[in-house]
Amino acid sequence: MVFLTSPAWIRAAKPDKFWRRRRTFRLSAHYFGRARNCYKTAIIRVEKALSYALVGRQQKKKDMVQLWEQRLEAGCAEHGTSLPVLRQGLMRCNVLLNRKTLADLAIWEPRTFKVRGSQLAME
Amino acid sequence: MSSMQRAKQWATFARIWHIYDAKWQNPFDSSKTIAKYLKGQHKPIYHPLSDCGDHVVVINCRDIALPGPEWYQRVFFHHTGYPKGGATWTLAWELHEKNPTKIMERAVHRAVGGTLLRKGLMARLHLFPDEHVSEDLLRHVTSQIPQLRVQPRRLDSYSEEEVRDFPKVFDYPADHVIR
Repeated sequence: MVFLTSPAWIRAAKPDKFWRRRRTFRLSAHYFGRARNCYKTAIIRVEKALSYALVGRQQKKKDMVQLWEQRLEAGCAEHGTSLPVLRQGLMRCNVLLNRKTLADLAIWEPRTFKVRGSQLAME
Repeated sequence: MSSMQRAKQWATFARIWHIYDAKWQNPFDSSKTIAKYLKGQHKPIYHPLSDCGDHVVVINCRDIALPGPEWYQRVFFHHTGYPKGGATWTLAWELHEKNPTKIMERAVHRAVGGTLLRKGLMARLHLFPDEHVSEDLLRHVTSQIPQLRVQPRRLDSYSEEEVRDFPKVFDYPADHVIR
C-alpha cells in the first residue's frame, strides 16, 4: 500500500536556529539595549521598524509630488499665472512633461519655462 | 565653479527684502501671503530644509481692517506660564490699543506653522505701526508684495478738479434742494 499523503507533509528542514535569528539581528544591530541582542524583543522592534519603513516609502512619493507642485506654483506665480492654467495649457498643446521635469525647468532653465508658458498662452 | 556661476548662486540664494502695506487689509489673509514669503515658498528653488526665506517689512499695522464684527468678538489668549490663573483673554480692539502691531504678529506667528523654523522666520518679520521705518531697514528693501485688496479712495481724497471732470448723466437744476 502506497501512502501519498504523509510524504506531502514533509518539509525541508529549517536552517539552524542561529542562522534564522541572525537575519533579524542584522537588522537590529544598531538598536539600543535588549532590542539589539534578545531575539524576542528584537523581532518585535524590527517588524515595527519595517512597517514604518513601508509607510515612509509610500509617503516619500507623495511628499515629492507636493514639493514639485509647490515649486511649480511659485514658478507660475513669477510669470503671473497659476498651476491649473499651466497644466491645462500643456494638456491642450499635447506637451507631455511631468511635474518633476517642469519643476526642474523652472529652477534650472527659467527662460525655457517662461517661453513654454507664454507659447501656451498664445496658443 | 566659475565666477559667473558663483554670482548666479549668490543671486539665487540672496535674501530679498519685501515691503507690505497692511493698510485696510485683513491681517489673517495677509499673514498667509507674508508667511509664504518668509518661508521662501514664492521661489521655485523652495525646499523645506533649505533656508531660502526672505525678510518682510510690514508697514501701517495700525490701519489693518478686521472683517465684520471681529474687533469686539475675536479673543487673543495669553498665559503667563505660572499656575493658578495665569491666563488672560484680550479682545482684538483692546490688544490693538495696547500694541498696534500685535494682531499682525500673532496672525503671522500662526500662519508660519509650528515648526522649529518658526523662531527664525519670525525674526525676519519687521512690523511697524505706521509708515515710519528706520532708514537702515528701508535701504535693503527691493521688492513690494502687492496688497490683497485694493484700497478704495475716499471722496475727500479727490481734488476739486477730478470731481468736476467726473462724467455725469445729468446736472441738478440750480433751484434743486437736496435735503
